[in-house]
Amino acid sequence: MAEPAIKRSDESSKIVDEGIDKGIARLTPEKIEQVINKVLAAETGARLKTYVETCVHCGLCSEACHYYLSHDNDPKFSPAGKVKQTIWEILKRKGKVDPEFIRDASRIASTECNLCRRCAMYCPFGIDIAYLMSVVRRLCHMLGVTQLYIQDTAHSHSATLNQMWVKEDEWIDTLFWQEEEAQDEISSLRIPIEKEGSEIFYSVIAPEPKFRAQLIYQAAVIMNAAGVDFTMPATPGWDNSDQCMFTGDYEMMGRLKKVHFETAMRLKVKRIVMGECGHAFRSVYDVGNRWLAWKMPPIPVTHAVEFYYELLKQGKIKIAKKYDKPVTFQDPCNIIRGKGLHEKARYVVDALCEEFIEMHPNREHNYCCCAGGGVINTGPQYKMKRIKGNRIKAEQLFATKTRGAKVIIAPCHNCHGGIEDILHHYGLDMELHFLGDIIYKVMEKPV
Amino acid sequence: MHDIYNFVSGPLVWVSFVIFFGGSLYRLISMAVLARKKDVFVYEYMSLKFGLRSILHWIIPFGTVKWRKNPLFTIVTFTFHVCIIFIPIFLSAHIILWKESWDISWWYISDTTVDILAVVVIASCIFFLVRRIVLPEVKYLTSVSDYVILAIVAAPFITGFWTYHQWAGFRVMGIIHIIAGEIMLASIPFTRLIHMIFFPFTRGYMGSEFGAIRHAKDW
Amino acid sequence: MEKRTLIIYTVITLIGFIFAVMSGYSQEDVTNVEDSAFEKKMRPAVPFLHDKHNETAGIDECNTCHHVYEDGKENEDDSSEEQECSECHTINKGDNSMALVKIYHLQCKGCHQKKKAGPIMCSECHPR
Ligand code: HEM
Ligand code: HEM
Ligand code: SF4
Ligand code: SF4
Repeated sequence: MAEPAIKRSDESSKIVDEGIDKGIARLTPEKIEQVINKVLAAETGARLKTYVETCVHCGLCSEACHYYLSHDNDPKFSPAGKVKQTIWEILKRKGKVDPEFIRDASRIASTECNLCRRCAMYCPFGIDIAYLMSVVRRLCHMLGVTQLYIQDTAHSHSATLNQMWVKEDEWIDTLFWQEEEAQDEISSLRIPIEKEGSEIFYSVIAPEPKFRAQLIYQAAVIMNAAGVDFTMPATPGWDNSDQCMFTGDYEMMGRLKKVHFETAMRLKVKRIVMGECGHAFRSVYDVGNRWLAWKMPPIPVTHAVEFYYELLKQGKIKIAKKYDKPVTFQDPCNIIRGKGLHEKARYVVDALCEEFIEMHPNREHNYCCCAGGGVINTGPQYKMKRIKGNRIKAEQLFATKTRGAKVIIAPCHNCHGGIEDILHHYGLDMELHFLGDIIYKVMEKPV
Repeated sequence: MHDIYNFVSGPLVWVSFVIFFGGSLYRLISMAVLARKKDVFVYEYMSLKFGLRSILHWIIPFGTVKWRKNPLFTIVTFTFHVCIIFIPIFLSAHIILWKESWDISWWYISDTTVDILAVVVIASCIFFLVRRIVLPEVKYLTSVSDYVILAIVAAPFITGFWTYHQWAGFRVMGIIHIIAGEIMLASIPFTRLIHMIFFPFTRGYMGSEFGAIRHAKDW
Repeated sequence: MEKRTLIIYTVITLIGFIFAVMSGYSQEDVTNVEDSAFEKKMRPAVPFLHDKHNETAGIDECNTCHHVYEDGKENEDDSSEEQECSECHTINKGDNSMALVKIYHLQCKGCHQKKKAGPIMCSECHPR
């Protein structure tokens, strides 16, 4: 009946990660204790205490988590199991844990939880495991233990205010470049830069100019076709992404969101419309604004899915010919559990596609892609963890494929990253697209 | 025997009720104060409408996806919880004691019904115990305190049932019953049984976040 | 029929008769505390050996228990052994019988608690 000892998983020691290894090497038990207790005392309070003391150890949250389901119901991957291995231990030992404990804690909180909040819908008490895991990440950040790759993006955020080390001139160049390209198709097309007083500030994540410039192209086509009065800034602040939110570097998160909002204010726009990214939406709409003490974002924020919904509903985009391959839809956590856009998304999909096949579970209950919450950004070392940790997604997609779906629409960059790897690894021959891809294909375009 | 009886059914009852109500109040207030100090935005986001909406779904059997997914568990836990709250309040033997000391009384359940329900509660406790031992995901989370809590909750029912049926040593068992009931009451504010007090707040807060900010359901 | 057999039969019958009478007589003391106001019994009625109880408890005056109150004051010269408690302690319409249970309990259990003698727990008085 004694407490089952927490077995050190040898998993984290197998992965070589300089960010972790060097960070751990710098730690001493004294430093750990001091930092942990300082952070807990300064930053946590009623929520942490109440969540820990209310949890009745019933395990009902387990089946919410794709990691748990994908690892043959291994309790170490259950939501409360992760809290047991981290927060409970830390509190029980009053912060007196060794560096290797921190290594495991970092692995669990940053690579075995996507902060997807599905478990909050399965725990009868609504205990916010994602919040508890964020606390662990924050502790690791304060101890200087963060996976190298995601830390690099955080450094980029702090040096350039964007996630991908995109320089200011590169950014402006990319916009010009995409504008020129698109003008071949629509000669009157413009990507208005720095147009003060526009209706809309269209913001994207840095990977778009870096790797997926065609998304900017497509967005420009959609905006122009719909006659939307939009602009994009020439200054830092154009990037809405935020890996600092995920590493626990909240000071930096605050700076990023401040710049983003201030850019919108400077351009005197009425609202921010964001590209198809989930985590960025979480940062702008839910987390970052709170750090800045804004209950709701100081300027309205519209996610692409909702924006497309408006355009279609108001007839601003006309469909030339509906997409004819059978599609299914991946509900991204951050805009479904994060903003309830599931019905609007279905309206958009129905408007664009001839045949829509639901995957199960769906809407609020959809499984996470296992890439979000910064997990994909922890780097290639953790790729197999993500893939193995989401076998259940492969099964879910396979079942949907069996029912006829050939194309997956996922309006989120993280979902794309995660699902791409899953499709490849599990040999699921399905196409993967953004909503923008489909709209671009099926819409009536001006000439 | 008389001295012991008078003591456990007199002063000790007072003590347990004071601990229960005082302790619960203390826990609530200290949570509220701490939240005001450290998680002040909780007050901003708490929404009566959406909080209640979520709570309502969760306190209705099969009102949530989770409850529907585990029908056996749902039936057991709802019967268990309803019984555990209603039996002590609506048991005639208890009401008689209230009547004797405070001249107050209310509707009561028939003794035969309670007798059956007491067995149901004991069986539920066994169900929870077995679950704790058998299911890996529950076992992993289990510590000694979980068994202790379960015992604390089961004890008044086992001893009450015993006393009612006048099995061997029922006089002593009656005394033990009263003490067990008092222990249970007094331990609510200071063990995980506090979930009874905190449930409306944790669930209500998650319901508010999901409902008011995120426009999604959390059930 | 032989004379002897007749005598034996008569004697047996007589003994039987006397026994019946005797037992009937001695049972006069063994009784239950009953009150017609209890329409539906929640627990079995309480067996009560009147004389033995009073002997053990050293009660001489009837009105120690069978009291009579007038205008809120006990009338020490009167007693009420011919009445049921419920005649004075009436239960209001709509009231459950708890009020009556209460006065019975206080009368018995209350005294036992004070004197630290006699049964006090449910099952000590209400046997199965
Ligand atoms: C706080 C002090 C308590 C006192 C003074 C008390 C007193 C009693 C008494 C006098 C009986 C009657 C026994 C009989 O019929 O012979 C009884 C029965 C019972 N009590 Fe309590 N009790 C207390 C607390 C509790 C609590 C907290 C619970 C449950 C959570 C509980 C559950 C029961 C049950 C289940 C029975 C037996 C019912 C049956 O099987 O018919 N009691 N109690
Ligand atoms: C409004 C009041 C209450 C609510 C909403 C509530 C809710 C819950 C929930 C959701 C669980 C977890 C899953 C389950 O086993 O059902 C639970 C477990 C439990 N509750 Fe309650 N509860 C309440 C009151 C009480 C009370 C008054 C007691 C006893 C004093 C109690 C004793 C228990 C026990 C012992 C468990 C753990 C079962 C196990 O070991 O798995 N609860 N409660
Ligand atoms: S990955 Fe999602 S379901 Fe699993 S523990 Fe984290 S927040 Fe909960
Ligand atoms: S479902 Fe909630 S109460 Fe139960 S173990 Fe999980 S977090 Fe704890």
